Amino acid sequence: MTAPLIELSHVSKTFGAAGGFSRRRVRAVSDVGFALPADVAEILTIVGRSGSGKTTLARMILGMESPTAGEIRLLGKDVAQMHGARDRKAFIATVQPIFQNPFEAFNPLRRLDEYLFLTARRFGGAADRRQAQAGADAALRQVGLSLAEVAGRYPHELSGGQLQRTAIARALLARPKLLVADEPVSMVDASLRMSIVNLFMTLRDELAISIIYITHDLATAYHISNRIIILREGRVVESGDARTVLVRPQHPYSRQLKEAVLVPRFPGPSSSESESPA
Amino acid sequence: MESRAPLDCDRAARTRQQAEVALCVEDLKAYYRTRHFGVEREVKAVDGVSFEVRCNEIYGLAGESSSGKSTLIKAVAAAMRPPLEIVGGRATFRFLPGARSLNQATASQLAAIRWRKLSYIMQGSMSVLNPVRRVRCSFADFASRHLGGNKAAFQVRVRQHLELLKLDADVLDAYPHELSGGMRQRVTIALATICRPDFVIADEPTTALDVIVQKDVLDMVRDIQGEMGSSLLLVTHDLGVHAYMAHRLAVMYGGRLVEEARTPELFSSPQHPYTKHLIASLPRIGVDAPRIGLAGSPPNLAAPPSGCRFHPRCPLAGDRCRREMPTMIAVAADHRVACFAVAGAGGTA
Amino acid sequence: MLTTLGDLLRYNIEFRIGAILVGLVAVMAGLSLASPYSPMDTFLVAPDLPPTLTHPFGTTSRGQDVFWHLTFAIRNTLAFGIVVALLSRLLSLAIGLLSGYKGGWVDRLLMSINDTFIVIPLFPILVLFYFMLRDRMSWWVLAVIMALLGWAYDARLIRSVALSLKHREFTHTGIFSGMSTREILVREHLPYVMPIVFATTMNNMNWSIGLEVTLSVLGFTDISAPTIGGMIYWANQHTALVAGVWWWIAFPVILIVMLFVGLFLLAVSMNEHIDPRSRLRRMGAGGA
Repeated sequence: MTAPLIELSHVSKTFGAAGGFSRRRVRAVSDVGFALPADVAEILTIVGRSGSGKTTLARMILGMESPTAGEIRLLGKDVAQMHGARDRKAFIATVQPIFQNPFEAFNPLRRLDEYLFLTARRFGGAADRRQAQAGADAALRQVGLSLAEVAGRYPHELSGGQLQRTAIARALLARPKLLVADEPVSMVDASLRMSIVNLFMTLRDELAISIIYITHDLATAYHISNRIIILREGRVVESGDARTVLVRPQHPYSRQLKEAVLVPRFPGPSSSESESPA
Repeated sequence: MESRAPLDCDRAARTRQQAEVALCVEDLKAYYRTRHFGVEREVKAVDGVSFEVRCNEIYGLAGESSSGKSTLIKAVAAAMRPPLEIVGGRATFRFLPGARSLNQATASQLAAIRWRKLSYIMQGSMSVLNPVRRVRCSFADFASRHLGGNKAAFQVRVRQHLELLKLDADVLDAYPHELSGGMRQRVTIALATICRPDFVIADEPTTALDVIVQKDVLDMVRDIQGEMGSSLLLVTHDLGVHAYMAHRLAVMYGGRLVEEARTPELFSSPQHPYTKHLIASLPRIGVDAPRIGLAGSPPNLAAPPSGCRFHPRCPLAGDRCRREMPTMIAVAADHRVACFAVAGAGGTA
Repeated sequence: MLTTLGDLLRYNIEFRIGAILVGLVAVMAGLSLASPYSPMDTFLVAPDLPPTLTHPFGTTSRGQDVFWHLTFAIRNTLAFGIVVALLSRLLSLAIGLLSGYKGGWVDRLLMSINDTFIVIPLFPILVLFYFMLRDRMSWWVLAVIMALLGWAYDARLIRSVALSLKHREFTHTGIFSGMSTREILVREHLPYVMPIVFATTMNNMNWSIGLEVTLSVLGFTDISAPTIGGMIYWANQHTALVAGVWWWIAFPVILIVMLFVGLFLLAVSMNEHIDPRSRLRRMGAGGA
């Protein structure tokens, strides 16, 4: 039986408030546990409000913070023990991030293609510039762009949707098994949002990449997730199959979340539901 | 799913009052003109926008990035600074009939208007509340600057107002950073409405808040609008918020309006291809049909496409769309569209 | 790069004036190569002559032509300032960037050293070095010493920029693209730090030259090598002002003031240009 792709057991994170004399401690994450299998690609959504601990959880999975208690294991190896350069490199080759703000994900003063080429050289197996360019082009095509559109461009020349897709292409160049996407579409225009959300589904179905999708938007979560975890103040209140949980939430907090979602009411029951886009 | 019915209150009374126009915007054009080291750039952020906001109504303005809606608010509310200039058109408020726009009002006129006739609810609530003083002091500053009158009477008025908004009175003793984001926003709304202004502009009031708090804040805004009978110009990219709040709704794209209608009608029968696509792409819990995003990118307002701004991304684009810019034409009662491909709006389709 | 300089020359009046001033000073320094007199010799020409056509800046009481002596003096002073600025910039960049990015014990250690250096009173230390080194105190040695004393303040400035950059998301993107620490500091963070480096370079030059002039005037340096301060020192020794030989003091002072003002104007105008926010605005980014 192979080790799961990623496994969290009893993970907690407590931040001490600033100042040596203060004894106030903030429990950002308390006793969270879940696992993603290594043989089947899945999209796991973590839903919660701001301050629910979901971003802290994401940072711990990405190795940017270490848990105060509990363990995070990537393919069987404890993430907190990965210190050496080789371990770090292996880690980065397995887990890649997608950040919330596409305009901040790249240095505004540098060209976008440099990040792509660098990732291709360091992780994608490209030996020289030509191979790096070919690799970058292939990755960009997978996300619906092309190198011609992105080459030589600075971040401000592209829209939020294009930037986020470039960020995904860069992550793909490292050939990861897991993507951790922290609110990837909340800063992207509504009209462009669905193409990126659908892209995540394509990555799961065609490239067998698992995705941990962190969001506060229940509707997109419904659309693409296999499983869902609902966080409240750092604790898991409900988890399970995404569609089941979202259509019939059990926990009162989950119900409260669902009822707070503002949905346009369409007069006429089924006509709008099955309405196809113009 | 539960939600309060927003639109079936005293229709008759509202229709009577709504006949009056609180804000009239006619062909407003506002550009950013910059000049750095000999390079001149002109960004046509708002390029010919006309609409009316009636009394006692919530008018929603929807748009994404580079639609120009933020610039529109700045131009209308006289919150402009160079390099933003009004290049043409007018924005006239009912309470200041002489001026073509608020930018022409004198400083003393503006001081008299702010918070009493026109007030704002902004996204960053911290910019209204002084972070180093208690909330009580922010209210007191208001009294001295905008209301005059004696302190005791004002204190009573503050408490009454807070009660009306269902806010606990001990929020006055807190510092802004001690309150949660939602609480701060509610205090900001209280401040903005204490003088019972005729017109309120809300710019992304709940974008930084999470879903549960957002609903409470929106309920509060709606209650107070109904109670004061004022007009509210609500600007946000979130269509769900518009569906919940707005009586009428306009959609902006590329610096121009593309469609405007009463909210239920806009959602049930959108006419413009952009609106249609936007609404159809919204995912919903319980609906398994696939959703498709819009291809292409928002237009670059420094070098906008010729003719209709939407034509590069429009599935119905024709020759005329590439050459001419469509104008808003009424296709039904209280429903305007700017598109050549819509029957009755100047097109043949 | 050349286009930016051209733009600056055409549109920015401060840059133009600063460039002209510094240019004149640099031309003076360059003329030292064409000097008919050796700077070390004395009593080559008639002493105490006021400015005439043969001796445009007059002559000193030691029988040297002021003009040609000044070319050597300004060249040495300028070279001194540049060396100190370069060495101390390298130090403050390395320490500031590393300290800000790494944090933890590296940061604490480097900043304790840093704060110690800030507190050191410079002038007594320099005088002490002079008395210790006496004959071996050439201006090279002085330059190195001043570079080692002049990095601390700016390192803290650079560190605070580095601290804010550490948390920006593009730093994380760089890490996940496989960049090493060195690459991140140089490729991602350095452009944001350049405005500070530039402004502080000019200040640093003004500071070091000013201090060197002060030391020389008081006689605490190698007075045989001609520098601006050295000239003023000798002028004082010969009580030039009392004797009416005003040109001996006036022209060095005028030249050094031109240099200071020119450097300051250059720093101010180039800074606005290099600052990432104005660069972005020019490229067309950043909020409409």
